[in-house]
Amino acid sequence: MNLEQLKRKMDEAHYIYDDTLATVLAVALQLGRPLLIEGAAGVGKTEIAKVMASALDRDLVRLQCYEGLDESKALYEWNYQKQLLSIQVNMNAQDKDALTKSLFSDEYLLERPLLQSIRAEKPVVLLIDEIDKADEEFEAFLLELLSEMQVSIPEAGTIRAKTIPFVVLTSNRARPLSEALRRRCAYLYIEYPDMEKELAILRAKLPHVDDRLCAQVALAVQKLRSNEAILKKPSIAETLDWAAALDALGIRELTPDALRQTAGFLLKNNEDLNALTMDEEEEHHCGHCEGHHHV
Amino acid sequence: MSEPEVYLEKLSAFSRMLRLEGLSVSPKETADAAQLLITLGLDDREQVKTALRTVFAKSREEQLRFDRVFDGFFISEEKMRQQAKEQMERERELEQHRREAEEELQLNGKPMDLSDEQRETYAAMPEEARQRLRNFMDKYRGTAERNPKLYGDFIHSVFTRAILEQQMLMENAGVGAEELDPELGLMYRDISEFKDTEIPKAIDMIQAVARQINGELSAKRKNRGRSGKLDFRKTIRKGLETGGSFYRLRYRKKRSRRKQLVLLCDVSGSMVQFSEFALRFIQSLNQVSESSRVFLFSETMTEADAFQLQNMDLFRTFVKDSGIYGRGTDLGTALEQLCGKRPPVLNGATTLLILSDTKTIDQPRAVAVMQEAKRQAGRVIWLNPIPESKWHYIRSVQTMASICPMVSCSTLRELAAACRKLAQI
Repeated sequence: MNLEQLKRKMDEAHYIYDDTLATVLAVALQLGRPLLIEGAAGVGKTEIAKVMASALDRDLVRLQCYEGLDESKALYEWNYQKQLLSIQVNMNAQDKDALTKSLFSDEYLLERPLLQSIRAEKPVVLLIDEIDKADEEFEAFLLELLSEMQVSIPEAGTIRAKTIPFVVLTSNRARPLSEALRRRCAYLYIEYPDMEKELAILRAKLPHVDDRLCAQVALAVQKLRSNEAILKKPSIAETLDWAAALDALGIRELTPDALRQTAGFLLKNNEDLNALTMDEEEEHHCGHCEGHHHV
Repeated sequence: MSEPEVYLEKLSAFSRMLRLEGLSVSPKETADAAQLLITLGLDDREQVKTALRTVFAKSREEQLRFDRVFDGFFISEEKMRQQAKEQMERERELEQHRREAEEELQLNGKPMDLSDEQRETYAAMPEEARQRLRNFMDKYRGTAERNPKLYGDFIHSVFTRAILEQQMLMENAGVGAEELDPELGLMYRDISEFKDTEIPKAIDMIQAVARQINGELSAKRKNRGRSGKLDFRKTIRKGLETGGSFYRLRYRKKRSRRKQLVLLCDVSGSMVQFSEFALRFIQSLNQVSESSRVFLFSETMTEADAFQLQNMDLFRTFVKDSGIYGRGTDLGTALEQLCGKRPPVLNGATTLLILSDTKTIDQPRAVAVMQEAKRQAGRVIWLNPIPESKWHYIRSVQTMASICPMVSCSTLRELAAACRKLAQI
């Protein structure tokens, strides 16, 4: 799929993108490389995998990483309980070798997301979400899959991919990822969208919301993100939630009162809410623009 | 840029330049980039830049370095001419400065004994500073006739010192780091030079780096849960529920050893900002904060609890209310009070961390009590906000560094590196 086709598909999926993002995705697709996406929480890293699944008309297989994630949760696990039952049921069977062999067949193999993604009949999009939360050992284990598109299971041997998935890895940079993993991936860093892009997202996702309100919301969010006193910057999802909440409350104009009432949709900790209040108070006393609203 | 094939050979040169910039570029990546150039063509410069960046740069920092190399390598003819012109002008200007400096750096009719690097630093000095030095020379010119050698040595030492200070100023400025990325620049700048407006950003960065260190450490924690030793007793007991089959294996958990950290922070005058940053860093490390105690001192010492260290305002109010703010530094008294505390604060399992610039009154006493503190504590580490390049000129630093290990923490980057090590002790 070339760049123009990809852009058309993303347009069809109503996804707002810029040229950089489209080029990076096209490059990763063309080279068949996994794509590593880094950026602050809530900038839309996971969304890219979903959109790619929809644009490429593939299923999305998701692996959510966490501390302590291991092969048995990510790749495969033998159905131990079922094996145990089978041994007890067939305790008097004559052919012990056949029984042992059957215990390590597909029947007892529980496929986890990674195995599922390479054994699928149709190629899928594999999302390995928040890889920085997983342990370093898990990262090392991923290398074989990402570079060779195969995995080794001691009892069953090497399993090669039937179809090649498009792999998307996301990271919030909670810890630095290994050089080896980075080298095997194409890299994309996403920042918060600018005013224009944010407004376009609001219009695309919430077409029923008043255009003027959307513009006010986008402007307010941009200002909040540039406010250094606010520690947890509002994400795109929170912007959408906020605009939807304002619309549901029947608010057509973003006044300081409306902002105060609904700030909980945007800012999720007390310090940030206090910083917002202090900011408002300062601006209220600025004297130059009394009576006007500015966030 | 119409025939991509023509430029493919340039790619290997570009890859070499990227390697020189510290990016690890494998032949496979160069091959990928070549494939991309053939497919995409070279008509759209931005598109080519994005595509190559995707292949070559593997982190945000690498992206910034890549952009710099790319912009220097693939430039348009017009820009090349403009850059050459600017460079020529810069060099002409520098040459003129050098010539002027050459004339000024004459002593008793001969060129002053200075290295080329020192001459260049002198040429880069602001005009007022050079004027001050010239005035100084004129003022003592009368001595030159009476005793030329004495005059020569004296003026030489004054010039060398001024040039050295200028070099330090240039080093402290971060040498180009800020141009690369303002955030990275903050990491490399002297903490004492932060402006008030930069403090929230610095705190933000401290939190981000502390989060990263915590993440690294938790990822490194080994032998947890299933990876511990098999617990036979529990496995057999649990197996009884399933008719003697070991349905699920049980593992022992490794006991974690708690670290005890005692922090002694200098909060006299100029040290407040550094202590605040350092404390914030250390307190945000999960591994360290569990069982640490914090003491603040200037002329006397007082203990602070975790609540008072929560944010900058609380910290500063506490320091002001406790009456130790804006006083001189007496490390000897503070250490004496710490060593004399009952029940004892320091013991073989504690690490004493001193955050101070070593400047104190009554240094001989401070050194003596320091020896005692070293005897009582399992380990003493000194975090010093003075850049390591200046340590040679300060006697108190040399004395203290001979007693205990000293780590330079003049920038956030150094502070982060020190904390990373500290958390791994």
